[in-house]
Amino acid sequence: MAIATLRRLGTGFLPMVLLSVLLLASLYLMSAATQNSQEFGRVFFILLLINVVALVILLVLIGANLVRLVRQYRSRATGSRLTVRLVIIFVILALLPVSVVYYFSLGFIQRGVDSWFDVRIEQALDDTLELTRLALDERKRDLMQRSERIAQALERVPSAELADVVNRLRQQHDVQDLTLLDQDGRVLAYSSVDLGDLSPALPDGTMLRLLRQQGSYLSQDVWGRDTLEEESQALRVLVAVQNNDVAQGLILQARYPLSDRISRLTDNIQLAFAEYQQLTLLRDPLKFSFTLTLSLVLLLSCLTAVWAAFFAARRLVAPIRALAIGTRAVAAGDYHKQLPQHSNDELGFLVQSFNDMTRRIAQSRDEVESSQQLAERERAYLRAVLGRLSSGVLTLDRRHTIRTANISSGQVIGIELKDFVGQTLEQLVQVHDWLDSFVTTIGRHLDEGQQEWREEVIIFGDQGRQVLMCGGAALPGVGGRQAGHVIVFDDVTALVQAQRDAAWGEVARRLAHEIKNPLTPIQLSAERLRQKYLSTLPAEETEMLDRLTHTIIQQVEVMKRMVQAFSEYAHAPQLQLSRLALNDVIDEVLDLYRASAPGVRIGAQLDPRLPLLEADSGRIRQLLHNLVKNALEAIGDARDGQVMVLTRMLEDKRRVQIELRVEDNGPGIADDLLDQVFDPYVSSKPKGSGLGLAIVKKIVEEHGGVVRLTNKADGGSCVDARFPVDLAVQDRDVAKPVELDNTSVDVSGLDSPAGGQ
Amino acid sequence: MGATGQMSNSAGIRQAMVAILMLVLFLNTSLLLAAGVQVKQAHTRLLNEVYYLDARLEYVLTEPMLEALHKSVPLTFVLYIEVFRQRNYLWNDGVADLEQRYQLEYLPLTQQYQVHNLNSGSLHNLPSLQVALSVLGTVVDLPLLDQNLLTTDVSYQARLQVQLDIEELPVPLRLRSYFSDEWRLRSEWYSWPLQR
Repeated sequence: MAIATLRRLGTGFLPMVLLSVLLLASLYLMSAATQNSQEFGRVFFILLLINVVALVILLVLIGANLVRLVRQYRSRATGSRLTVRLVIIFVILALLPVSVVYYFSLGFIQRGVDSWFDVRIEQALDDTLELTRLALDERKRDLMQRSERIAQALERVPSAELADVVNRLRQQHDVQDLTLLDQDGRVLAYSSVDLGDLSPALPDGTMLRLLRQQGSYLSQDVWGRDTLEEESQALRVLVAVQNNDVAQGLILQARYPLSDRISRLTDNIQLAFAEYQQLTLLRDPLKFSFTLTLSLVLLLSCLTAVWAAFFAARRLVAPIRALAIGTRAVAAGDYHKQLPQHSNDELGFLVQSFNDMTRRIAQSRDEVESSQQLAERERAYLRAVLGRLSSGVLTLDRRHTIRTANISSGQVIGIELKDFVGQTLEQLVQVHDWLDSFVTTIGRHLDEGQQEWREEVIIFGDQGRQVLMCGGAALPGVGGRQAGHVIVFDDVTALVQAQRDAAWGEVARRLAHEIKNPLTPIQLSAERLRQKYLSTLPAEETEMLDRLTHTIIQQVEVMKRMVQAFSEYAHAPQLQLSRLALNDVIDEVLDLYRASAPGVRIGAQLDPRLPLLEADSGRIRQLLHNLVKNALEAIGDARDGQVMVLTRMLEDKRRVQIELRVEDNGPGIADDLLDQVFDPYVSSKPKGSGLGLAIVKKIVEEHGGVVRLTNKADGGSCVDARFPVDLAVQDRDVAKPVELDNTSVDVSGLDSPAGGQ
Repeated sequence: MGATGQMSNSAGIRQAMVAILMLVLFLNTSLLLAAGVQVKQAHTRLLNEVYYLDARLEYVLTEPMLEALHKSVPLTFVLYIEVFRQRNYLWNDGVADLEQRYQLEYLPLTQQYQVHNLNSGSLHNLPSLQVALSVLGTVVDLPLLDQNLLTTDVSYQARLQVQLDIEELPVPLRLRSYFSDEWRLRSEWYSWPLQR
């Protein structure tokens, strides 16, 4: 509270002016008092006190201001440095001239006071006084003698005649008035020049006491002090009278007039001397008090100036400080800063300009922000659309650096494409070399500078052979320059495959329909021919007939079976899903072949950790038969044939798969056939319907798996089928013993000699 | 002869007075170190239903005061006299306050000392400082107060103090005297019961 009041006092303009005026007034009064002015002399001490108190108040105010400024300076408050500089300048400007004036004034005071005193004047005054004293002393002696003569004259006067004698003696000795008193102060006789004056000026007790002590008394009296008469002086002489009639003795008072001129002159001389004496005494105190007054004036002026310096500096710096704070706020991004405007001067204009500027910046910033928000919304919209798109979308800049990639882009080609954002396509190939064809195709089109293009690309990745439909378009850029390209690609493997499968299904259905129907009449006709003419024909011809009809019937049978196989391929039966242990099924199937193919070593390497597979056991058996048969056929008659069946559980973060691999050490597959081996009627073998591997693929795909065929580096081929495992089902049934479905393998549907790849 | 006898008698008295004065002078010089003012004795007399004060004060001036006096600076002394009713648990009940001012001045022309009672206006020119101080220190028959102003069955006290009035000094000297002990001249309060 007190500090707040002090601060308000320290910062207000009015209290400052008020205090200054009060100080000036008190200083004036003090200065007047120093010059011995009567009316101010009495309040000198109070004035001194007031000034000292004012000094202390000023010091406190300045101290508070100083502390505040130092604190602001230390904390590097805005504007504090400028305030300090201004204060220093103001203080120097105020103090320098004042100090110079003070220095010279001090000298003037010293010399001025000293100049009042002069040895010759002092001597002259002393001499004058001495002269006057001598003259007065002579007169006093004379009067004293005259009075003593009167007293002697009264010694022998009888008391009854005293009054008359006194009157006579007064006239005789030219006395102003004569009074005769007894020891108790009673008037016995009185005579005066002035007949109207009936009351004598009686000596008081002190005079009588002094008379008794000294034997006589003489003093210079002011005449008529108690009356309205003009003031004049008289000499009063008291002497003792030894009257014979009065035992105690009497007292004679004689008063002699002192001429006005003499008394005035003596007064003047005495006054002048006294004043001069006083001055010599007061010489140093006067200098001191003048110096004190001057110092007080100086101190108060200086302190007021310092205080005013603080005040003015703060007033000056306030708008600059506000501007600095405002500028800093704008720099920090606060564009809504508006400064208070107080003055109409240049600083006020500056403040107004600043306010205009921030208002405009804020406006344009708001516009930019709203358009940014709009752009952001569109971006988010696009991102959402792209994210939900099943097609992969890549954007590249002119240097083939991947700038964006949507989620599907990674899913389509089976890698985290987002990790490669910011890298070039070439860098992508260095990590995933199997994307070479993909990248090469894109690069070719980009280099050709085509605005729009489409092409089918085939890649071999973790997900096997994939057919990607790629399309690209140049992105519009700024200033006619190309900003880059957008690449859109889809995995059309399944689509292509489905089209192909559908086409083959149609072929198979037609074959079955168109070929199966004439086969039975052909067979029946051949059998009738044989029955009718076998017995009638001569022996040498019957053998030929028998051989020919037998061939017809046998080949028709073969064709029938082939048509049956096609029919089955075209019309896949409904899957009868059950959980089965793949390893057990493999063991059973392999046992059959181990007996039938003694020349070939059939081995198995089965993973005991293999989970149960949700599958149609009949179809799986057919799959195994086809694969093993295919492998055996691939080996053919070669020596040291070897078929290896392997199972493995593949586990990664996302899924669990069962891998089934069947390897042989045959001659392998020609490279140009590799990507078509799973199509019907594609076979590297001279015999075979070309349906074996097609059915394998069909069964694997029916179970949601993928299959591919590769040539091994050390010769022979390898069929790799992978089945997804539903872990939820596993967990549920892990404790149950697995019931093996002992359905016999139906291999009759496959034309064994023609079980092509 | 009688006259001569009387003369010798008065001479004797004069010698005695001189001796007393010498003694006083001696005492004064001996007391110079302990400069100050002291109320030696004070009492009241009742005469015609008026109380009169008689008091004897002893002034010993300090060196700066003497110097100032001899340089024609008048010194003003103030006598404060109070009559009050003493009460045990309350502040004293003042009945009368009296202030007597005396001025001591050196007259360079006559080399005399002047004692001026500023209240009554009476003036005395005295040949020496000792005499002047003794005159200054002798208060006789100072009418104090009327008996009618007092309640009969209550006991009253009177007290007296004397001091140098600094405020009457010339301003330059006053400034110095505010801060100097040598210019402080004040007696203790001297109290006595008011006699009936």
